[in-house]
Amino acid sequence: MIKALYVALLETKIFLTDKAGLAFSLLLPIAIFALMYGAFGGQTIFHGTAYMVNQDVDAQGQANYYSDLIVEQLDGLDSLDVSILSEADAQRKLDRSDILMAFYIPEGFSDDIDSGLSSQLTIKQRGNGGDEGQIVASIVRGMVENINQQLQVHAKVAGAVGGNYNQDTVNEYLANRTVSVNTSVGESSAPDPVKEFLPGIVTMFILFGISMNARALYEERKRGTLERLVTTRLGVGQMFTGKFLSYVARGFIQTLILLSLAYAVFGGDLFTTASFFKALFICLVFSGAAGAFGLIIGSVSRSEGQAIWMAVFFTMSMVMLGGTFFPIPEDTVFFTISKFSINTYINDALRAITADNASLTSLWPELLIMAGVIVVGLAASRYMFRVISK
Amino acid sequence: MPDEFLIAKELHKSFSEIKAVNGVSFSINRGEIFGLLGPNGAGKTTTIRMLATVLQPDSGEVTIGGYSTHQNAPKARSLIGVCPQDLALYEELSAIDNLVFFGRMSGLDGKEAKEQADINLRLMGLEDRAKGKIAKFSGGMKRRINLAVALMGTPEMLFLDEPTVGIDPQSRNSIYEVIENLRDKGMTILYTTHYMEEASRLCKRVAIIDGGQMIAMDTPTALKSQIGDPDKITLEDVFLHYTGRSLRD
Repeated sequence: MIKALYVALLETKIFLTDKAGLAFSLLLPIAIFALMYGAFGGQTIFHGTAYMVNQDVDAQGQANYYSDLIVEQLDGLDSLDVSILSEADAQRKLDRSDILMAFYIPEGFSDDIDSGLSSQLTIKQRGNGGDEGQIVASIVRGMVENINQQLQVHAKVAGAVGGNYNQDTVNEYLANRTVSVNTSVGESSAPDPVKEFLPGIVTMFILFGISMNARALYEERKRGTLERLVTTRLGVGQMFTGKFLSYVARGFIQTLILLSLAYAVFGGDLFTTASFFKALFICLVFSGAAGAFGLIIGSVSRSEGQAIWMAVFFTMSMVMLGGTFFPIPEDTVFFTISKFSINTYINDALRAITADNASLTSLWPELLIMAGVIVVGLAASRYMFRVISK
Repeated sequence: MPDEFLIAKELHKSFSEIKAVNGVSFSINRGEIFGLLGPNGAGKTTTIRMLATVLQPDSGEVTIGGYSTHQNAPKARSLIGVCPQDLALYEELSAIDNLVFFGRMSGLDGKEAKEQADINLRLMGLEDRAKGKIAKFSGGMKRRINLAVALMGTPEMLFLDEPTVGIDPQSRNSIYEVIENLRDKGMTILYTTHYMEEASRLCKRVAIIDGGQMIAMDTPTALKSQIGDPDKITLEDVFLHYTGRSLRD
């Protein structure tokens, strides 16, 4: 075991001699974290913009009553900004795909409503209008439906009480005739993009180390030091254990930086102190599994290109099959296939920790599978090294 | 009765359809420098790799110091040091770091490894470059460190695979002196080279291998006598006599 530790120490020493590589490898987690924070930090609810063309204006260019009401009510929503465009601007932006959807309030909109005629908004869109556009369209439709109902209520009240009525009369009429939806927001029910994506980013980051490890092992084979080591009293098992320990340490240090930054910035929203250390432990085990895969790929690669591309293929396959960024629906063939990806197990474990502060004992199936991958990976890499060396 | 330190019996090794080594047998006596000569692709390096426990022969047997390389590889490895044809060093690290690391891998403890590294650096005339990075060394210095690494762990036998290739006469001469010094101390050495004058100077016996087979083996003088007047014939003449003049690469 001492010889294995000495190999690990040597690997680490070599790693530390490349100052530029070292700086980059330590800055990488910080850069990834900054990207993650920029992309997801604090943005936990939808916020969109409704681009509107209001053609329902008077001679002075002022919006008429009902179009003004729509714009005012939409603008009052927390989740929406309203941007008023001229017809020409809207068309140009749509043509250039600067915007994917615009709402047109036609000329005479308010007059038609006042006259008891039906009136309608028009939506112009590129393609399906985009995800944001579809949500904004739903909000606008809801708002228009609300105004429509108010108009119907006024018409009913007018019919029931005659022409002389005011808002109090309407409220009195509606007192016992309302249906509303009460939304209860629990503490953890709001979707949190950081919690959702952090496991994926962490696991992908660790997996990227596979190509570095595979390449390093291939290079060592190429320069002959691996073969020279075989002729010493160092066993192949000890040699691979040493390299494995070094790869795990490297991957873990980078992950430690990434998770520590996440903890420092998002704090209690993401981790408790206990769950932070649990996440670190899970990442340590996963770094081991990734390190074992790096050894396998490095053992069988016959060129640097092979090592890198095999590692990239492996990484991408695991990421895609493991539901790294998007959950895979149950009862699908992909759900079954995802069980063959180690990412599935670390993603599940990290999500359980960040969402529910799950205990490590409750995560024993995931830990067992990752530990199994380490053992099998080390044995397989050692075996393949012997086979390739024959 | 000479004390045979290394015995190779009927070694065979194929890579796919190519028979790299085909029934090679020889022995090396304790304290002897034995030269293994042959043109490119003759099977020298494959033979050395099998003897040094890197490759398993398809058939045949090797014993070093009485230990079978197949059945007791760790024991056999404890007796040997290998200086491969290509430099096998960690270029990012210093000379002393390389020596100490391989010393540790050869079973020395930290203190012993450091002491032996210092001795071997002095032996190679590189004590003042101990902390220099290998990457910044000249070709000759790298070759000397390559040899110094093979000496870590005080092996009883050395495998030297073209240790002087591509270096200037001064560095080559320095390596010769080190090897002769080791021979005088009783080290057993298997030496391969393309430089025939080198083999004549250093080796007590030489074997010529070609097409994976041993085609001649004796002292340089005896081999010369086989084809003419040993005072007029060079080892290169012997080599060309047995292996022909056609290009091999």
